[in-house]
Amino acid sequence: MPGEPPAVECRELSVNYGRTPALEAVTLTVARGELVAVLGASGSGKSTLLHAIAGLVPPARGEVWLSGRCVATRQRCDPAERRDIGLVFQNIALWPHLTALDTVAYPLRRARHSRRDSNAQAQQLLERLGIGHLADRRPGELSGGQQQRVGLARALARSPVAFLLDEPTAHLDTHLRAAFQASVRDRRAETGAAALYATHDASEALALADRVAVLVDGRMVQVGVPELVYAEPVSAAAAELTGAFTVVTATVAAAGPAQVSVDLGSGPMIVAGGGLRLGPDPVVARVLLRPDWVVVPGEVPGRVVVSAFRGAHTDYQFETDIGAVHAQLPGPPRLAVGAPVTWGFARAWVLPVEAARRAEPIRLTPAR
Amino acid sequence: MRERAGSTAAAVALTVLAVAVVVVPLVELGRVVPAGGSAALTRVLHSPGFGSAAAHSGELAVLVPAVAVPVGTGLALVLRRPDVPCRGLLRLLIVLPLLVPQFVLGYSWSQAYGRGGFSQQLLGAHWAGLNGAVGVVVVLVVDAVPLCFLISSAALAVRAQPQLEQAARVSGAGWWACTRTVTLPMLRPVLAAEVVITAVAALESFAVPQVLGTPAGYQTMTTRVYADLALGSDPALFTDAVVLSLALVVLVALVVLPSDVLLAPRLRTAPAPSPAGPAGPSRRGPPGMLVACVIGAYCVVVALVPTAAIVLAAVTRAVGRAPTPSNWTLDNFRAALDAPTRAAIGHSLELAALAALILTVLGVSAAALGRRGWGRLLGTVVIAPFAIPGSALAVGLLIAYDRRIGGTLALILLAYLAKFWALAHRTLSGAVDRVPPDESRAAHTSGAGPLATARTIWLPALTPALVGAGLLVFVSALHEVTMSSLLYSTGNETLAVAVLNSQELGEVPTTAALSVVLTAMLLVAAVPAWLAMVLARRRRAASQPVWSAVEVADAR
Repeated sequence: MPGEPPAVECRELSVNYGRTPALEAVTLTVARGELVAVLGASGSGKSTLLHAIAGLVPPARGEVWLSGRCVATRQRCDPAERRDIGLVFQNIALWPHLTALDTVAYPLRRARHSRRDSNAQAQQLLERLGIGHLADRRPGELSGGQQQRVGLARALARSPVAFLLDEPTAHLDTHLRAAFQASVRDRRAETGAAALYATHDASEALALADRVAVLVDGRMVQVGVPELVYAEPVSAAAAELTGAFTVVTATVAAAGPAQVSVDLGSGPMIVAGGGLRLGPDPVVARVLLRPDWVVVPGEVPGRVVVSAFRGAHTDYQFETDIGAVHAQLPGPPRLAVGAPVTWGFARAWVLPVEAARRAEPIRLTPAR
Repeated sequence: MRERAGSTAAAVALTVLAVAVVVVPLVELGRVVPAGGSAALTRVLHSPGFGSAAAHSGELAVLVPAVAVPVGTGLALVLRRPDVPCRGLLRLLIVLPLLVPQFVLGYSWSQAYGRGGFSQQLLGAHWAGLNGAVGVVVVLVVDAVPLCFLISSAALAVRAQPQLEQAARVSGAGWWACTRTVTLPMLRPVLAAEVVITAVAALESFAVPQVLGTPAGYQTMTTRVYADLALGSDPALFTDAVVLSLALVVLVALVVLPSDVLLAPRLRTAPAPSPAGPAGPSRRGPPGMLVACVIGAYCVVVALVPTAAIVLAAVTRAVGRAPTPSNWTLDNFRAALDAPTRAAIGHSLELAALAALILTVLGVSAAALGRRGWGRLLGTVVIAPFAIPGSALAVGLLIAYDRRIGGTLALILLAYLAKFWALAHRTLSGAVDRVPPDESRAAHTSGAGPLATARTIWLPALTPALVGAGLLVFVSALHEVTMSSLLYSTGNETLAVAVLNSQELGEVPTTAALSVVLTAMLLVAAVPAWLAMVLARRRRAASQPVWSAVEVADAR
């Protein structure tokens, strides 16, 4: 609906812990009904961003707006209980002394609903999440997946304008993770509320989100639809969060709309892709290649050094004159380790010069 | 194999000692009553004084926890709020009365607010109710609040996980609703333990009822035991004291045993501490400045004014003179520190140091025996006397050993060993438990023998606990007056007994001066303990890996 204020809006939001900056000038808008994944390594400020929106930490600078109402500035900060949000905690944070039913009824009781009314609504929520039969259990008597669903039900009970989910699947097994993601999707479709989903898991973020916001060291470096964040990262640090990649140095130039000319030393190749601030004049730059963009056979010679079967596809590492290259090819292994190979690429993305230089040391260190 | 034989010998020696100082006195206490005949028992139980003393002890055991636990916990809760200024100073002021012996606390209150006290000289008003039931309850509450505050603060740090409170606030709970529905329920087992501890302390308390209650005819079971034994060698009075002691043991057992069974499992399963600080920046509730002022006023009334009153009484020339600089003198100290008192100070230091040394060694030995089988049984035996009222323990020791070592300092030392073994044992076995077993296994596989392992692994890990246990026993022994006052003989007083006697003689300046000396001695012992604790904490913080700071920041 045009003209309607966004559910969540952060304007130049900065948060410090003592003198350590945790978030720096983050600007982000989440529309009603939209799911934005906040993707970042641990320590990048994901939890801080969610907690600042929830009202658990005050901003050092900037503002937080919920449904067109300013709830936090440097001077004035509404406490969490006065904000219309639901938060699902990373470690679930269920109260050990309350049953599932009492836990889900808790926000309703705080909103001055009668006990009978609260309990009835809470029971309904538990039923809809498929755990109605566990209403009398305390957290100690619930499995991890069941606990996380109680936590989700508690956040839903407030019928908030926005859900904040702080790595909700970090402690869940893979099969529970899928079930939980499904219940988040279903419930959100029902309520139409906005959601911010913090995660360090690229596949989760890309699969769930309408848009992905990439946080690196407390700064929001890129916001966009999942395909864009994957294919056109603003830096190697941002690229690393969305999946594996290889960086090679090449002479590049723009070669028409959404096409780029890449010269690895054996002549220019025109492929799909592009780059930020890339002109028609050839320049030497760093080029990002995703493993699934690599094709075999191609024009560049190399040798297979690693082959790892992943089920639906196989990961390879090629040794070439320009360095190691990651490749992902569909199907079972068909290239032997040690065998020569020729390869090329169907797509390339040129990293901005300064971003590439700044990002290099980060690429070489494994993720924390 | 030699090691096994050594540990068996140690176990036997420790057990013999534990039986001698703990089991024998209790058995003797129980044997005297049937020997005196059931007639004596009925006579004592039906005497009018017994009923009122039991009733008074009972009301103390109910009223003191009823006030002290909410006050101590309330202080702990509000001092968690980051918007309260001067939190460190306020915490220190709240805890400070722990260092003041009960006797000195009671006496300083009478000097501050009683007839002819500080408030009368300054404002022309005194508190008539101080001598009597209300005064005893109030001062015992003041004495118990610091402990409740400490226990609740520690429990809040460990049990009240910030995320659980954040979850409540995100669910729409304000400060008070969050405290009521989440924070306090998580503390429930700890609060119950506080009630038990303060109730037992109130039942056991002797110095405060003696100083503030006895002059007004308000007798408790402990002061009555003292009166019975102080009045000489009447066998009927002795039987009376024994029956009272046994009744006291029964009363305490009635409080402790059921609560121990109910509480122990819930207290043991403490959740893992969470790294982040308390939740939420902008807690609702009264503004921080107001809270700080109220707590500050509380500290001034309960601790600073009484301390000032007793210090001024100690340096003022004579009772009734205005406590102004022109009337100040050190003569009171000179007069108070006469030869017998100096001897008493020597006895106190000697006993306290010996008790600290012996119990530190015994504590380590018992802890080394481990938590299974014999070690566990021994642990139970040495912990028990801490719940047995000092008066009863002293009477039991008197019956068991008076003929052999009566009237000597050795009897008092035995009493201290029995009573304070629990302090050393708890501190040291806790520290031993916290050393991961893999550390000594790693030392063994690196080629270290038992002695080298003890020196290189255990000693560095246990040093703070050893120092802490020693100082804890030392300070408690200097405090002790309940058992000392029943077991001393002329020429063998401790300082605490000397202060009590001089108070009973009504010598205000001398008593005040001696109280100041006693408290100053405790401060001298406490400052190194505090420093050692601060240093240990700093070292631990410095040795934490750097990445944990990042994790903490992200967790928040």
